[in-house]
Amino acid sequence: MRERITFVQKLGDSIDPSTLKVTDGVLSGPEVQAVLEDRLTIALDELPTELHTLLNSVHELHVRWVSPVAYEAVSPLLSRLPPGFHLFFTPARGDVDASDNLCPTLAHVFGDIACSTPADSFTPLQNDRFSHSSAFQYFQPLESLSHFIAYAQDQLCPPSDALCAARLNSLVLASSLDLSYDTISHTLKITALWPYQKQAVHAISWPELRTEVGVLSGEIPPNLEPHEVGLAGLLTVLGQDTKPSATMFAVPSRHRDAESKFSARFLEPTGTHPTLQIQLESNKPPSGGSYCSAHAYFTLPKSIFADKYQLADDLFLASKNLTALRYISQPVDLEAPEYVMKQWGSAVLLELSPPKSDKPQPWTTEVPLHLRYLAPSPGGYENIQVPYPAVFWACTAEEGTKFPTNPFERVNLGYDGLFGPRTVFWHVDPRPVSGSNRITNTIKVPVLDLDKAGWVNGVTAITVLVGFAWVAWKLAAVYVKSGYGSAPSSGTSSQIGDKKRQ
Amino acid sequence: MAQSSVAARSASASAGDQTSARKKKRVSFAAGSAPPDHPSAASSPAFSALFQRPLPLYFSAALLRVGLLLYGLWQDANSPLKYTDIDYLVFTDAARFVSRGQSPYDRETYRYTPVLAWLLLPTAHVGASPLWDAVWFSSGKVLFAAADLVAGWLLERVLTSSGSGLPGLDPVAARKFAAIWLLNPMVATISTRGSSEGLLGVLVMALLSAVMARRVTLAGLLLGFSVHFKIYPFIYAPAIVWWMDAERMGSGGADKKGSPAPGQNKSKSSLISRVTTFATPARIRLAAVSLSTFVCLNAAMYICYGPPFLTHTFLHHVTRIDHRHNFSPYNTQLYLASAFPDLSALRIESVAFLPQLVLSCFLIPIVLAKKDLPAAMLAQTFAFVTFNKVCTSQYFLWYMVLLPLYLPRSSFLKDGKLGIFALSMWVASQGLWLHQGYGLEFLGLSTFLPGLWLASLGFFLVNCWILGIIIADVLL
Repeated sequence: MRERITFVQKLGDSIDPSTLKVTDGVLSGPEVQAVLEDRLTIALDELPTELHTLLNSVHELHVRWVSPVAYEAVSPLLSRLPPGFHLFFTPARGDVDASDNLCPTLAHVFGDIACSTPADSFTPLQNDRFSHSSAFQYFQPLESLSHFIAYAQDQLCPPSDALCAARLNSLVLASSLDLSYDTISHTLKITALWPYQKQAVHAISWPELRTEVGVLSGEIPPNLEPHEVGLAGLLTVLGQDTKPSATMFAVPSRHRDAESKFSARFLEPTGTHPTLQIQLESNKPPSGGSYCSAHAYFTLPKSIFADKYQLADDLFLASKNLTALRYISQPVDLEAPEYVMKQWGSAVLLELSPPKSDKPQPWTTEVPLHLRYLAPSPGGYENIQVPYPAVFWACTAEEGTKFPTNPFERVNLGYDGLFGPRTVFWHVDPRPVSGSNRITNTIKVPVLDLDKAGWVNGVTAITVLVGFAWVAWKLAAVYVKSGYGSAPSSGTSSQIGDKKRQ
Repeated sequence: MAQSSVAARSASASAGDQTSARKKKRVSFAAGSAPPDHPSAASSPAFSALFQRPLPLYFSAALLRVGLLLYGLWQDANSPLKYTDIDYLVFTDAARFVSRGQSPYDRETYRYTPVLAWLLLPTAHVGASPLWDAVWFSSGKVLFAAADLVAGWLLERVLTSSGSGLPGLDPVAARKFAAIWLLNPMVATISTRGSSEGLLGVLVMALLSAVMARRVTLAGLLLGFSVHFKIYPFIYAPAIVWWMDAERMGSGGADKKGSPAPGQNKSKSSLISRVTTFATPARIRLAAVSLSTFVCLNAAMYICYGPPFLTHTFLHHVTRIDHRHNFSPYNTQLYLASAFPDLSALRIESVAFLPQLVLSCFLIPIVLAKKDLPAAMLAQTFAFVTFNKVCTSQYFLWYMVLLPLYLPRSSFLKDGKLGIFALSMWVASQGLWLHQGYGLEFLGLSTFLPGLWLASLGFFLVNCWILGIIIADVLL
């Protein structure tokens, strides 16, 4: 088991090396304004049996939870995903049916995970174009890690170890959590990220755990290539080093900071065909030289979807400041109600169409979506949470640029596999709309009100019977007057009737 | 009564003395001074000139459609809100798949016979200029609009014929009633927006006109094809079969004199003899031709496209949940039942077809078909749509094409107040529903209960009331 703790400050925020103290395997220092990343690398046989068994049936598995509470990120820990519970998965030997224990295990570890089996609930990913993409995708909104924290405390901490429980408890404030496994490394990497905020530099070494602590900040080293980011700071291996050692390096990075913001909200009234309006701060692409285009990547829960046929007309797209629907996971049922859908929902990549103007200007784009019918419930309304999309400029790096794995970078994000290997993602920072701290939107969906449904069956049946009886009565009247014969005879009989009356 | 079967054999022959008085009364009512409350009542010289000869009517009907088509092209090219119906994009996408040698069912939500995609193959044509491509793309709408005109012409033919045993109208009056279909802006809009319902209109009118002309084989082919095309025309089979008795078809039995209830006179005869009397050559031929047309078409499509053909064209209608709001009285109940399949003790969806089929396939044909086949078919369609598990406004077109055949004899035209009242009830109850639907769809209000539900029940009852009048009117 290994641990890597990294404090990452913004460019120019470096700390004085003398303020860091290393004593008896404990590193302590001042409070810094930084993002904290804590990565635990665990060998397969060190895991609880349940997870060990599960990962044996898996070729590749990435679980990525992102907090619905807005948070600030810092380069190079910038790769964004919509808030919620993401899963990217490739089964061992390509046999998706062998992983039927995946969903129950995930529910056991993370709590309210609603998938049934990978075959039913997951969507296939395009893994033919770029080999690094996993085979299947799953997503659902997940409010917090509380269930995971309880599970981890139960599995990892000895009953009397309050410190262990407290450390895990700090995940309550984490902005994201990643669990990554693949058969090549045979290890599970658990990475937690805490948002950019004031925090004390503090780390303790644990028995049987090699802990490396880095206190880094953005830096511009000499000869920095355009596709690289520079970092400088202090590294300490706890229990081994007696004082931090200085370091400076540059790493190629596919995820960069576009240094602008966006927010998203649904236009009122939402109705059953809600429109998500994305408000962007700037229409200027981040890097002047290369070709860039703005994109929004959505993971839409099954209660809401985009219609690819509606998003095929250029005039319609242009009227919404959209360029094209670049990708939508398949299949997307256009008719089924939410409560019969087994599949998780759909992933959508839209290319946005910023206004062409020389001066930077704020702009909006509108994404037409459609609600599915939800199951009837008391009160007549159900709230659904729709996560913000990840919004970024995709820019093409120079010919021949290579992006070898960088120690802070994630692959398998759902959208990275949809772009070429030379693409750099310049992330636009998601900001909540005023009065909220969340990067999700709530829609109040009208449903059949169960409180009023008591009379439905009876009154419908009676009404249909009344209607039927009325029509049958009219038919009977015709039959009694003139039988089922042809019209002239009816004329005769009515004439006879007239005569009688006369 | 012998003369009625003679008259029946030649469509244009005048009826005998016995009914001539009644006929004269009807014709003069419809042709001379049009009923005061009817929309076509405004009889300015220009207006009546429209009906004196066929050309002005069909020309203006065609002009209306050309105008709408061009307007549609303009709107589609210039507005993000499209004139073209979403279904037309489904058909043309499917045609594009077919043109590439793929299955039309590769297009999601294509739930029609492959024949439709084949008919629209020209829409998939891509040439050099975008302008010509747009013309090719619109060719399907041209087809649907042309089908409207043909359906209107067939309407006129059926209206002037006395084939059903009832006297025909004179051509001018017939054209006035055909105009209800031909110049109806709703009909023209639906077909030029690219909805295929107009094709059904022409098929059903062709079927009816073939039956009235005693062209049994042609009628069988059309019936088999229509049912393959859209399923619902199967309801016409019992009516047509019942109508085609030996007396009417002139294959012997002319001496039976069309007694009110032939069966009753022969109550003591054996079952076998009754069956053999019923199974006339015409009926057997109709059954054989229509059934084999239907089976052959389906077999051919199955060979071409395999199980997806069956799944999407037919099985879809069996398995669909119908949870989305529509005019059907069953809608709210079906939404409830689909969400809680275990709770409902009596599966409403498994008995809902009973009142619908009992009326439209059994009671209405038996009582009405021999008296007035077009009115019977109208009543059948009306009952089928009213009692259906799903009901949307495009289904109204199914009976609208038959309406001009019934109106000349209807109490809605005889008693203008009743007509206006019925029409306004029909429109108002629909408006009420649409108001609730607007609240749901656009404002996001939970109007399912009680608003939408009561509105759909109200609309249902209004429809039942109208249907009752249509039924009673065969005795007028």
